Amino acid sequence: MESLPWQDDLTAAVKQQFGDRVLEFLTYRDQKFIVAAPEAAVALIEYLKFEAGFDYLVDVTAVHWPKREGAQFDVIYILYSFERNDRVRVKVKIADGYKPETVTTVHLTANWLEREVFDMFGIQFASHPDLRRILMPEDWSGYPLRKDYSIIQMDQRWVKENLGIESGQ
Amino acid sequence: MRKLLRTIFLVDLAQGLWVTFRSQSTKNIYTEQYPAERPKVAERYRGAPRLNNNPDTGETLCICCDLCGFACPEQLIVVSSVRNPETRRKELTNFTYDVSRCMFCGLCEDACPVDCLELTQDFEIAQYSREGLIWDRQMLEEGPKPTQYSS
Amino acid sequence: MATQTFLDANELVLNMGPQHPSTHGVLRVILNLDGEKILGTDCVIGYLHRGVEKIAENRTYPMFTPYVDRMDYVASISNGLGYCLAVEKLMNLPAPPRAEAVRVILTELNRIASHLVWLGTHALDIGAITPLFYTMREREEALKIFENYCGARLTTHAFRIGGLQYETYDGFEEQVKAFCDAMEPRIDEYETLLTGNRIWIDRLKGIGILTAAECKQYGVTGPMLRAAGVKWDLRKAFPYSGYEKYEFDIPTRENADTYDRYIVRMQEMRQSVRIVRQAVANIPDGPIIAKVPKVVKPVPGEVYVSIEAPKGELGYYVVSDGTNQPYRVRVRPPSFINLQSLEKMAKGALIADIVAIIGTIDIVLGEVDR
Ligand code: SF4
Ligand code: SF4
Repeated sequence: MESLPWQDDLTAAVKQQFGDRVLEFLTYRDQKFIVAAPEAAVALIEYLKFEAGFDYLVDVTAVHWPKREGAQFDVIYILYSFERNDRVRVKVKIADGYKPETVTTVHLTANWLEREVFDMFGIQFASHPDLRRILMPEDWSGYPLRKDYSIIQMDQRWVKENLGIESGQ
Repeated sequence: MRKLLRTIFLVDLAQGLWVTFRSQSTKNIYTEQYPAERPKVAERYRGAPRLNNNPDTGETLCICCDLCGFACPEQLIVVSSVRNPETRRKELTNFTYDVSRCMFCGLCEDACPVDCLELTQDFEIAQYSREGLIWDRQMLEEGPKPTQYSS
Repeated sequence: MATQTFLDANELVLNMGPQHPSTHGVLRVILNLDGEKILGTDCVIGYLHRGVEKIAENRTYPMFTPYVDRMDYVASISNGLGYCLAVEKLMNLPAPPRAEAVRVILTELNRIASHLVWLGTHALDIGAITPLFYTMREREEALKIFENYCGARLTTHAFRIGGLQYETYDGFEEQVKAFCDAMEPRIDEYETLLTGNRIWIDRLKGIGILTAAECKQYGVTGPMLRAAGVKWDLRKAFPYSGYEKYEFDIPTRENADTYDRYIVRMQEMRQSVRIVRQAVANIPDGPIIAKVPKVVKPVPGEVYVSIEAPKGELGYYVVSDGTNQPYRVRVRPPSFINLQSLEKMAKGALIADIVAIIGTIDIVLGEVDR
């Protein structure tokens, strides 16, 4: 099944506000998502929060597509509106090394969620208040959820120094 | 006023203690006297694995299809077999099952087409060494033999 | 850390955990203190990180189901339900009605069991030892049902993609009904022990306030959000697995403090009993599993499906690339996100309150760290 385009009042309003910076409005299995240009993400989420009532940031996550040219990562923001009882996802495609703006300024939840994305994918969020690793040890090297990181791979140096064993296997 | 009286006569405390004392009766005892008395586990309990033999002939039921090995998320089952040139059927030579890594999820049991591999009700599978938890065909067919204690 | 504070005292840094009985696992909280007052907290988590999301990318869809049980291990059935629903949505393969009804019964029993663990340990942290024994006794009954149903008590692996693996056993309905009958007076019993208890009230009232607006800011869901007066429950908002067929209320409270969260959870247990009664009264006949292809291979696409787990919104974001392994599985863990609000709730509280505040969030570290 292909993703289908989606149109209603919200898309019209967003389109009018953001113009070309919003690329697509799609639905897949009745779930809506908006594909936006990376630099528009924060403004779009802010707009959705204050103008459209999407006041709860459910989740921030990322997906690594190493084979895709130019934009290796999808960053996904899932938003929910208590008023409308509706969910919408905002998806931005970014290249490796691009530093998207943090959304902690709009939703405080994003603090730990973005830290986790940084921890797992190495996406640095610009002007994040406290961008440290959260689940992995702080001096670990490598980003485990990237596709080129094998499931049995580990930071040998860290394991040797901290656990005193040759390998965790 | 009522509140004051309740406070003076410690009504809350008495109520709470009443609940406590009510549960003191001997028929509410839930302690199990293990190992003197072995607990009865459910019929569907997923415990120690076993390879079933055909009860009439004593031959293994396994047809060496390796479906259990494919189904296992931990990939801890290794089925080795040789094809018998006469009957053109695979014959089981060895079967290793690493219980130390098993999470008793039951996927292998579900996958087995002939009900050969089964997770049984035996739950006493502790060993003194890791190596002891890698079970071979013989161990799987006989099952673990825990020490029996009697009261 | 020599920041000068009131009375020229130095700020004191106190390390709580990772091995501390009231952190419910391996949570380390670094507290900045001025005397007994908490100025700031910093949570250090990740001690239990097992890389569940990475494991998912290296397993086929059905193979991953047992792993989700190990996240929130006191509510493993809810985890399994969420994952199965997500993959079913991805494949557009709804479970048959009989499977849905049995799923609802087991998940609600699991909610009760999870709340019982929470109640017992929370009361223990506050200093009331007795409730723990009682709650464990009732939980045992629920676990016996799980054991009889699927053969495991904690990491149940009860559901499969497309429905159920196991048919209900003989006497399932009776046992569930007996559990419901026993449960209601028992909840009253806990309430006699705690609700009016003065020490309990003094320790909980007005502690750890998180208003509705703050809850939304921090993405806090579940009983914590409902204790702040927001009538929101995913079972009503996006009914899944046939929840629209059952009558139940969403308990809410207004004060948004620890005591209210306790009341909300107690009410929730009663509502769960109510749902279980309705569900068990008419379990439809029919198949228990949909026609699932031998190799689960969804077409490329992505879905986000969430359920109301005992702790809050538990979401699964599953991306498929058309192979038999998920391309990406993201788990939105309620404990992880709720824990983030600890900072806000603990600020200005006393050191003795932090135990109550950690308890009230109802975290399971297996889920925080995944
Ligand atoms: S029970 Fe699960 S983990 Fe153990 S061997 Fe079978 S499939 Fe593998
Ligand atoms: S699935 Fe059953 S028959 Fe096939 S190899 Fe395994 S134990 Fe033998």
